[in-house]
Amino acid sequence: MILKTKQLSKSFGGLKAINKVDFELPKNEIRGIIGPNGSGKSTFFNLVSGIYDSDPGSYIEFDGHDITYTPPHEIAGYGLSRTFQLLRLYQDMTVIDNVMSGYHTRVPYKFFDAVIGRKKIWDQERAIKEEMMELLSFVGLADYAELNASELSGGQRRLLVLARAIAMKPKLLMLDEPAAGLSPVNVDNLMKIIMQLKEKYGLTLIIIEHILKVVMDTCNSVTVFDHGQKIAEGTPAQVKDDNAVIEAYLGKKMDDEEMRKALAV
Amino acid sequence: MEKFKSIIRDYPFIAFIIAFIILAFVPSVVFTDVYQSHLATLIFVNIVVAAGLNIVKGYCGQVTVGHVGLFAVGSYTAGTLFLYLGLGFWATLPIAIIVTAFFGVAMGIPSFRLEGPYLALATLGGGEAIRLFIENGNFFRSTFGISDIPTPSLMGYNFDSPDRYYFISMTIMIIAVYFSFSILRSGVGRAFMSIREDPICAAAAGINVKKYKILAFILSAMFAGAAGAVYAHMPPGYIHPNNYTVIEMVTFLAMVVLGGLGHIWGGIIGAIVITIVYDLTRPLYKYQLLIFGLTIVLTILFMPKGLGGFIDRYFLEKRFKKKTGTEKTS
Repeated sequence: MILKTKQLSKSFGGLKAINKVDFELPKNEIRGIIGPNGSGKSTFFNLVSGIYDSDPGSYIEFDGHDITYTPPHEIAGYGLSRTFQLLRLYQDMTVIDNVMSGYHTRVPYKFFDAVIGRKKIWDQERAIKEEMMELLSFVGLADYAELNASELSGGQRRLLVLARAIAMKPKLLMLDEPAAGLSPVNVDNLMKIIMQLKEKYGLTLIIIEHILKVVMDTCNSVTVFDHGQKIAEGTPAQVKDDNAVIEAYLGKKMDDEEMRKALAV
Repeated sequence: MEKFKSIIRDYPFIAFIIAFIILAFVPSVVFTDVYQSHLATLIFVNIVVAAGLNIVKGYCGQVTVGHVGLFAVGSYTAGTLFLYLGLGFWATLPIAIIVTAFFGVAMGIPSFRLEGPYLALATLGGGEAIRLFIENGNFFRSTFGISDIPTPSLMGYNFDSPDRYYFISMTIMIIAVYFSFSILRSGVGRAFMSIREDPICAAAAGINVKKYKILAFILSAMFAGAAGAVYAHMPPGYIHPNNYTVIEMVTFLAMVVLGGLGHIWGGIIGAIVITIVYDLTRPLYKYQLLIFGLTIVLTILFMPKGLGGFIDRYFLEKRFKKKTGTEKTS
């Protein structure tokens, strides 16, 4: 198990955004998380990556470390990387700087070496830059390396965010709606790149996605959230036929008698 | 040429030694009177302050308006150490840097909770509090200022006139700029920039936001402290609280903004231009603040990345066109 949560809860005032979720994720799996809007998918990500503190009684374990109340930068140090639904691109930095800033946890030299500016720093910086340029050309952004991130198109931004999250060589990568707003062709292209990256770096993936085709085609297993609770879990085929899931998305299945009763009230 | 370039890339300090040698010949070759040396020293002091301010404001994105207070701490540490203990430049400079670093920590703590204009207000309060504290305490010789602060001497050679002191300020400036370059070009500079752009995402990428914010404040405070000490020992060696008002802060800000916030040369270009303009417009002293205010506003409107960014942009577009054969994307 690379990620494990027990009784994970988070409430905002009276609203229980996440309510006692037990979640387990084995290594090398691709897990899809689906659920209607406001069902707590993104909150779940924020809790696991440490951006929100979870409520008392919760327990999160990542790769053998208890990370329940660990600050986000330390969690990232353990090898958990994530992307955001709203991208959170570093707009005013160049594309290559964006990716290189994702490398932060792996920077080998110490601060005082950098202040003095020894030769070994610049050698290491060049090595980092080369490695990151390779990553950029892998996702197809090498030509844009020196442009500002704000000058990229929507699809390119999604690729850049992905590259930045990969730069730290994470063990677990959490993608929050990686394909939102992309055209079908671009979605296929993006998923292909994600799959190749998974092979290359041996990643474990969690993907929140609303495009069900993506989830059904690529994920080994799917977890369904509704109103902050986990309502179903299993292979895509199992989940597709699960009554609770259909109910959450489409409403309750009723026969004519029940329908008449419901309408009369 | 290629070989020379790669040597500079590996050992950047060689470029700074060359700059040192060139600047060392400037007074005897270019300058015609002592006043120009004095002006050059002022430029160097301002470069050090602006380079520090560029770290915390340009790179780390923390809007601080109290920097002039840190500058004052540097000056007055040097001044009081001379006044009560009789210490000379070589002792006061390092002590001033360390003391100012501690004040930098205090100035940086509000940045954990405050952002943008609110942080500006808090730091403005901090800077003004420092000045008022100095002005109203007899300990600091408030109304008269501290005078006759001695110039440094090295191995019997006394740097006691502006054209001699030029070498002291120039050396400090070169060292400070070298440190700021190596810090900002390394991963530390990138961490600062990502905090400026998006602190939440920076934290998720493994950057300890609080640590780096405080680090930026400490570093820039050390620059301000060094500049303050150099300023205090500058002949004729006189400091007065009136030299550390918000007006000075506006000129420091104008330097960084005009040079380019978050551009590695930003503070340096700005400091040179603004100090010279400041000197030329001395007869119009009534309108000086107006001029600098307008400079800030117009630069932000028409050249948001300052002179440095403007020049960069020009070369980048040329390179991009050559590489892809197209116009830029937007």
